[in-house]
Amino acid sequence: MKLDLIDINKAYGEKTVLDIPQMTIEEGKITGIAGPNGSGKSTLLNIISHIDDTYNGKVKYNGMDFSRDIAKNITYVFQKPYLFRRSVYDNILYPLKLRKLDKKTQENLVKDIMKRLEIENLSNKRGHQLSGGESQKVALARALVFKPHLLLLDEPTSNIDSESVKVMEREIVRFNKEREGTVLIVTHNLDQAQRICDTTIYLDSGRVSN
Amino acid sequence: MHNSQLFWTTFGRPSYNMYKTIVNCELKAGVFMDYILQGFKEAINLIMTFDPEVFEIVLISLFVSMTATILASFFIIPLGVYLGINKFRGKRMVSRIIYTSMSIPTVIVGLLVAIILSRRGPLGYLDLMYTPKAMIIAQTLLLIPLVLGLTYSLAKNRGLNIARVAFTLGGSKFDSTVLIIKELKVDIMVNVATAFSRAISEVGAVMIVGGNIKGHTRVITTTISMMNSMGDYPMAIALGIILLIISFLINSFIYSYGQED
Repeated sequence: MKLDLIDINKAYGEKTVLDIPQMTIEEGKITGIAGPNGSGKSTLLNIISHIDDTYNGKVKYNGMDFSRDIAKNITYVFQKPYLFRRSVYDNILYPLKLRKLDKKTQENLVKDIMKRLEIENLSNKRGHQLSGGESQKVALARALVFKPHLLLLDEPTSNIDSESVKVMEREIVRFNKEREGTVLIVTHNLDQAQRICDTTIYLDSGRVSN
Repeated sequence: MHNSQLFWTTFGRPSYNMYKTIVNCELKAGVFMDYILQGFKEAINLIMTFDPEVFEIVLISLFVSMTATILASFFIIPLGVYLGINKFRGKRMVSRIIYTSMSIPTVIVGLLVAIILSRRGPLGYLDLMYTPKAMIIAQTLLLIPLVLGLTYSLAKNRGLNIARVAFTLGGSKFDSTVLIIKELKVDIMVNVATAFSRAISEVGAVMIVGGNIKGHTRVITTTISMMNSMGDYPMAIALGIILLIISFLINSFIYSYGQED
């Protein structure tokens, strides 16, 4: 999914937190967003995902305005993901249930993504009882299971062990290559940006910086 | 050592008036304890002997208050969640109205329902006055703002996160509302139990629209009120104890359910 951001401006009272006159996110690429705390990285993802719709300007999704159909093809993994008070399996199943896929397909997709992210052992554990790293992996599995066109990630690998980081990066890249999915990833880790991103945008005080 | 002797040794010999006051207090405390003990004995006796009058009163109370709680919760919980998680014009004003109406006095609700259902009222032809149906209507109207306010506040504080996740996974507003109800079901049950407690313990509305008719609209609270005016304290205390037991059982159930979840 190609994104065009036109004259995006977001302010809290007098304070402008995001000011982007023009920006294009290429389809099928992994784009990193880096910058110091408070530079507007999460705000940008909130605007693109339409969680925040109180901004000036326009975001075009493959040249079209935001709609219910487009929303169904975008997903967002938050920095502190919320997992439902049910089993990990049911957590990952949820987006497939929303799409009313047949039971066999649902089961296969869930099992496949759990295997890829190496979280099969967590299947029966309750979502809200997992550790931070486990939660991040489950949240990524829940986001990837329905094969979205646009994946938004807000520091998905912060505070988790290096093995889990490897697994998650591998699956993000695989999603990008196999599905030609567009990925937008907020990261503080410049090594990670170099490892997996095709391009990196630097934000500073809400503006794109060179 | 007797209490008054203890007082003497601690604070010195009391004056005559002070002594009179202490004796009076002791006597009153004794009478009070007698009432409580007698009430307990009578409560156990009434329960163990399956006293038909008491059981009828308890059953009518449970029927009226449970029906009102179910009716008030059924549509109002989804509405409260929906209002809590969505932005709309005038939301602040709506919040204030909801929170204010949560504390509406029960007699005001009873009075309004009585005016509407009385023979000369707009719904007088339904002949509902002094029936359990009128009591259910009054209690439902009393509970609606309470259930709405509690659910609205819960959804506003804890539902937004859940709604965001549902939205980013492709869910509609309806899906978000359903998900929030499922995720916060223990808290919602606590709110419903609070509403039920308000219903079963209120006396103003049911007295006005029910009329406390024996075997028909007599409930625990109206009976306690009547027994008090008749000076039959042990029976009033016995019914009060039964009311507390009902509350205890409901809260125990919710607590154990919450622990399991």
